[in-house]
Amino acid sequence: MGETRITNNIRTLRFLNDEMTQKDLAKKVGVTRQTIVAIENAKYSPSLEVAFRIAEVFGVPLTEVFSYESGDET
Amino acid sequence: MSFKEKNIVVTLINFTLIELFLLIRVLVMTQSDTFTRENVFRMFGIIVFFAVVVTVIGIILANFGATIWEAIRTGEKDPDFEYFEDERDKSIDLRGTQATYTVSSLGSFIAMLAFIYGQSALVMFCLLIFFGLLAQIIGDVTRLALYRRGF
Repeated sequence: MGETRITNNIRTLRFLNDEMTQKDLAKKVGVTRQTIVAIENAKYSPSLEVAFRIAEVFGVPLTEVFSYESGDET
Repeated sequence: MSFKEKNIVVTLINFTLIELFLLIRVLVMTQSDTFTRENVFRMFGIIVFFAVVVTVIGIILANFGATIWEAIRTGEKDPDFEYFEDERDKSIDLRGTQATYTVSSLGSFIAMLAFIYGQSALVMFCLLIFFGLLAQIIGDVTRLALYRRGF
């Protein structure tokens, strides 16, 4: 199995939602601002629950926030 | 720096100073032939006192100071602080605890080995304290490194 990566569009979605701050998003999701920074920079993969809550804040499906890239070339 | 990171820094500084105190005290005792049960247990009492009381006071003062600083900086009467733990904090804490347990187990093994190979019970006791403190320091360094790196 190759390398796997989870990428996200949180920065874009924040911009599209009146330039929502990381602090505001963190408050709405119920995590710390540092966690949002880590998720945004793809340094931390959130739990499924937090991922769904982020999508819920932006009002989009989960797949519009996070995408999964597999390293396997088939 | 988050609330959790501040607490870790305070604990790390305190335990590093206690570890240095232990090393210096043991060195002085062995050189002046005062490595006795009474002195070692007195040293242990001082270590426990500083480990518990100073850490608690240090954390309170650090957060008190940070709140005042934030209030002055932002001009807000009630600055917004994140005093809670989320899933990332818990994961980082778990990894730190894993590192602490690993060093602690290894230290206990070394201390027992020293006893088996003819060292006195006092030496074993000192080694147990030394590795206990070292385990805490390494756990805190691990936590801090994970916070600095992102995860």
